[in-house]
Amino acid sequence: MPLPAPSIETEPFWAAVQERRFIMPKCDACGTVSFPPTVACGACAKTSFTWTEMSGRGTVYSFVVYHRVYHPAFKDKVPYVVAVVELEEGPRIISNIVGMPIAEVTCDMPVTVVYDHIRDGYLIPKFTRSA
Amino acid sequence: MRDKYAIAGTATSDLGRTGMDSLALLEQAMRRAIDDAGLEVGDIDGIVSRGPDDVYTHHQRMGARLGLDVRFSTSLDNGGASQILAVALACMAIDAGLATTVITGYGRNSWTRTHGSEGDRTQMELVPQDQLPKEFAPEYGYFAAPATHAFGARRHMYEFGTTREHFGGVALAFREHALRNPDAVMKKPLTMDDYLGARMIAEPYGLYDCSLVSDGAGATIVTSLERAKALKQHPVVIKGFGTFNNTRGWLVEDHMIRLAAKQSAEAAYRMAGLSPTDVSTAQIYDCFTGMVIAQLEDYGFCQKGEGGPFVASGALRLDGTLPTNTSGGQLSEAHVEGMLQIVEAVRQLRRSYPRERQVPDAEVALVSGHGGNTVCHSSLLLGRAS
Repeated sequence: MPLPAPSIETEPFWAAVQERRFIMPKCDACGTVSFPPTVACGACAKTSFTWTEMSGRGTVYSFVVYHRVYHPAFKDKVPYVVAVVELEEGPRIISNIVGMPIAEVTCDMPVTVVYDHIRDGYLIPKFTRSA
Repeated sequence: MRDKYAIAGTATSDLGRTGMDSLALLEQAMRRAIDDAGLEVGDIDGIVSRGPDDVYTHHQRMGARLGLDVRFSTSLDNGGASQILAVALACMAIDAGLATTVITGYGRNSWTRTHGSEGDRTQMELVPQDQLPKEFAPEYGYFAAPATHAFGARRHMYEFGTTREHFGGVALAFREHALRNPDAVMKKPLTMDDYLGARMIAEPYGLYDCSLVSDGAGATIVTSLERAKALKQHPVVIKGFGTFNNTRGWLVEDHMIRLAAKQSAEAAYRMAGLSPTDVSTAQIYDCFTGMVIAQLEDYGFCQKGEGGPFVASGALRLDGTLPTNTSGGQLSEAHVEGMLQIVEAVRQLRRSYPRERQVPDAEVALVSGHGGNTVCHSSLLLGRAS
């Protein structure tokens, strides 16, 4: 299973995920959450951010169901769902929808973060239907 | 720039499974285009090309193959939107006095480079390995272009009620055109049952929603309309072009269902002084079926959300109201990132095809180019010179 290769800018995100925390940079001036991180805020161009705990809630903006295997690590995983998740705080991220029947996944469905071990104890954030 | 410049020559390379190098394919297309125009290689004084993304200063490599020093040359990097951009840049270079006769083109050997070995076959990415995303993708099993585009298809279905049968209508119309084109890779008829029954790739996209993995190249010769009139072929005049890039990304706002095509189209229609009702034939960047539906809407051939029913009406067929991708497109002719769509538009406007392939009385052709991480767009409006 491929592990993410964090950049200097995303390293704090992945480090927090290993502690089951979901953080993103929030602009100290206008409160906009930008992810992936940029040098200055996309909304107000100020450069002061604080890594802030997110709610872990969002909705499915869109999703696909993989049937074709592109990487040997996913040979026994198909079919699986890759989704664009819109977080409550604004950013949209790529993730998987897990823990529910694939046929019941829909656009705009509310979802909540869960943490999944992918290899050697490494955690990545995924999402499941909100209770 | 309206009506000042023309495409005086055009050609494709061999298409399909050639075993050729990508640079050789483009050289073949360029030499054929020079012949088609009735020119000599030495008449060319500009090159605008685009190569596979791992070829440094691609235009120089083409100049070396053609045996040409030139006044103006560069390579472009805008994905499938590059090929129309090359024609636009050729016009601008000539307008600036930097060149008089510019050759443009693109070629790739996607089939050959992915079928050399079993390892090549599983690795279908054409982007160089070191440029693939290293986070927020591989760990989620998010690979390759079909899924990215299928996000847009899924959202389009959700918001507008578009169906898989609508997507299938695109695939069937273009396959029917490919059967009339002896150079097309796909030779067999496609039925809706075939379409719906095919294996899924990244749902909602199945096999026939995806464009082909094929080798091919195409080239055009751009020069002044005045000069083109003195050459061998009936000139095809450049009426207008436009570009727009949703550079903030595919996942932002509604970019995946309202493409940069809209603003790009507006710029091109404005330059040309034309509107959608003036278009006799459209050659649309058909990397995936749903992208055709979204672009038909963005180009103003129908309202946003009505692209599915527009396709189902039969509009895209050769005898329809908007004959589209009349060579079979990237879905059924060969996938050369929009380059063959320019070639086909020129040929339709020359009216040199046999009756079973010719759009009757073709006056104006629209060509779209799309790519650059799915968010960059270019538009070209061509006309038959009077």
